[in-house]
Amino acid sequence: MKFRNVFIALVIGTALVVAAFLINAQRPRIVVEQPNADLVKASGKCAECHRNNQYSIVHEYELSKHAQKGVTCLDCHQVLAGQTGTNHNGFVINNGITSANCRACHLAVYEQFARSRHAAPSWVAVVGNKDFSPEMIEQMEKLHPGSMKRPPHPLTSLEGSAAAKSGCITCHAIGKPNSDGSIGNCTLCHTRHTSSVEVARLPSTCGQCHLGPDHSQIEIYTQSKHGIMFAAQQNLLNLKAPSASLTTKDMFIPTCATCHMSGLNGRGVTHDPSERLSYNLFAEVTQERPNADRARAKMKDICLQCHTPPLVERIYKEGAAVVDATNEKVLAAKSIMDLLKAEGLISTNAFSQTIQFTYFDLWHYYGRTAKHAAFMGGADYVQWHGNYPILQHTVELKEQAAQLRKENGK
Amino acid sequence: MENNWRRRPRTWVEAFVLLNLGGLAPDIFLAHSVNAFHSRAEYAPLIFSLVAPALLLPALWALATGWLTLWRWLGFIVGGTAVLMGITGLVLHLQSQFFQQWTLASLVYAAPFAAPLAYTGLGSLLIMNRMIADKETEWAHWVILFALGGFVGNFIFTLTDHAQNGFFHRPEWIPVISSAVAVGFLIMPLMVKVDRPFLQVCGIVMLVQVAVGVLGFMFHALADLHDNGENLFLRVVHGAPIFAPTLFCDLAVLAGIGIWVLGSKHPPKRSSHQ
Repeated sequence: MKFRNVFIALVIGTALVVAAFLINAQRPRIVVEQPNADLVKASGKCAECHRNNQYSIVHEYELSKHAQKGVTCLDCHQVLAGQTGTNHNGFVINNGITSANCRACHLAVYEQFARSRHAAPSWVAVVGNKDFSPEMIEQMEKLHPGSMKRPPHPLTSLEGSAAAKSGCITCHAIGKPNSDGSIGNCTLCHTRHTSSVEVARLPSTCGQCHLGPDHSQIEIYTQSKHGIMFAAQQNLLNLKAPSASLTTKDMFIPTCATCHMSGLNGRGVTHDPSERLSYNLFAEVTQERPNADRARAKMKDICLQCHTPPLVERIYKEGAAVVDATNEKVLAAKSIMDLLKAEGLISTNAFSQTIQFTYFDLWHYYGRTAKHAAFMGGADYVQWHGNYPILQHTVELKEQAAQLRKENGK
Repeated sequence: MENNWRRRPRTWVEAFVLLNLGGLAPDIFLAHSVNAFHSRAEYAPLIFSLVAPALLLPALWALATGWLTLWRWLGFIVGGTAVLMGITGLVLHLQSQFFQQWTLASLVYAAPFAAPLAYTGLGSLLIMNRMIADKETEWAHWVILFALGGFVGNFIFTLTDHAQNGFFHRPEWIPVISSAVAVGFLIMPLMVKVDRPFLQVCGIVMLVQVAVGVLGFMFHALADLHDNGENLFLRVVHGAPIFAPTLFCDLAVLAGIGIWVLGSKHPPKRSSHQ
C-alpha cells in the first residue's frame, strides 16, 4: 500500500474538518453564545418559518434593539412560573407574554410601572378590585387614594360585556392582573416584536388611549405648541436615543413621554408617570396628590430643561387657577345633584336619568378637558371644549333639576 | 465475476436503490410534516417514494429472469423521474431566507435545499447501472462517486444541522469529522490508481461510518424521546431527524459495493521478497 494515498486522504479529510471549524467559528457570537441548545436554535429556526407565515413579526423583530443584543424569540416567549406553556414545533413557548417576561430583564422598569396608575388602578377603574388581594389594594390605595377601593364601573354592566371587552378593557388592560402574578403588558406601549422605545415616545402611542372627550390629552397636545413643533420637526428628533443618555439635543421638542417619563439630561427615567404629577386632574373634584410637592418639583425640573423659570411658574400658576375655577364649577353642579339625591329625585341606578348624564359629562368630559388643557398649553380646549360646555351643562343641569322637581310636585 | 444474478453487483445496486427510494417515504413524510405539508407539491416525493419501489420490484424480477429489456426500461423510467423529482425539489426548496439574505446565520436554518438531490443521486445510479456493465472498472468508479457525493452531502448537512444547536453537545462533531474522513478516502480511488490494501482501509473507514450511523441513530432517538412535544410523533417530526444518521450506514453499503468490485480487479498479491 502506498502511504502517500492514505496521507492525501487524511489531508483532504483534515482540511474539510478544519474548514468546518473555521466556518462554525465565523457564526455570529450572539447566535451561538446562548445558555442552551434551544435558545441557539431559536435564534434562527423561528424566523425560517415565521418569515413566510408572518413576515411582519420577523421584520419588526429584526429592527429591534432586542435583535441587536441577541435576545432570541425564545428569550421572551419562555414559560415562567404561573404561565401556561404551549408545544410549538419542538419548542415549549408562552404565546401570551405578560409584563413578567419583560420583568425578567427589566426589573426596575417593571417596579416603576407597577406603582403607577397605569397598573392596578387602571384595571380597577373598569372592573373593580375583585382581581386583587387585600394587601395589594391597601398598598396601591396609599399611592393612589380612591383608585382601588371602588366597584366595577356601572357602564360596563349597562353597556354589556361585548362593548366593555372591545372598548374600555382594551385600554385599561394595561393594568390587568396576569396569572403569573404580574400586572399588565408592556407591549401596549412598546409594541410586540419591535419592543420599541421610539414607538413608546410617539405622542400617537399615548394617544391610542388618551384621546376623546374624557381624556383628550392627544387632542390638547396636538393643538399645543409642543405638538405643532413635533409635527413640523419630528424627523429631526432622535426618538431612538437610549433612555439613560437622552438629552434635549435628542428631544428638543417634547412628546408625552419626554415630560412624563423620560430621563432628560440625566433626570432619572421613570415608568410611573405619577412621579411628576402633582394633581389628580382626572378626578371629579381635583385635589393634590400625596406626593404633590415632590412631583411638582420633578416636573418643573423637566420643564426647566427647555424653558425659563418665569414661564414655568406662570404655567403652573395659571393651571392651578383653572383647577380651582373648575373645581368651583363642578362643586356647584355637584351640590345640585346632592340636593336632588337628598330629595329622593335621583335614582340609585347610575346612568338611568338624563340629568345623571348631564352631570357626568360636565365633570368627566369638560371638567377634565379644561384642567388638562390648562397645564398642556391647549387654549382652545380650556375654552371651547372645556369651560363653554361646562357652562352649557350647568344651565341644562339646573333646568333638568327644576323639571324633576316640577314632575315630582316639589 | 459469476453470472448468478444474485451475486452480480448491479443486482445489489438495484436492490440498494429500491430500498432507498422506499425508505425515503417515511423520511419525506416526517420532513414535510414539519410544515404540515403546507404545499400540495410536498406530497409528490412521498407518492413517488411509494410508487417507485412498486415499479422497481418487477424490474428486479426481470433482471433475475433475464428479461433485460423490461429491467432496463423500468429503470430508465423510474431513474429519469427520480432525477427530475430531485431537481424540482431543489428548486422548490430554494424558497428559503438564505437565498434572500445570503448570510451564514440564515444558511444554518435554511430548508435543506440539497436534500431532494437524494432522488437525483438514486435516479442517476439506476440509469448508470443500465448504461455501464458492472464488470467494468468504470462502473465501480461511478458507484464510489455516488457514495462520495452522499458523504459530501453528509458533511455539509451534519455541519449545518448540528450548527442549529450551536454544537451544544461535543459528540455532534463526530459525524462531521467521520464524513470528512470518508470523503478523503473515497476521493482517492477516483483520482489515482489505488491498490487492494488501500481499498481495505477504505472498507474499514466505511465500517466506521456504519458505527457512526448507528451511534447517531441512538443519539437522535434518545433526544426525540426526551425532547419537547405533546407526543412521540411530534417530537420526532420537530426534534432530531431520526433517519438522518442511518444515511451513514446506507452510503457505507453503497461505497462498500464499489470498493468490493474495484478490489476484485486487484487480486491479492502474494508476498514477494526482492
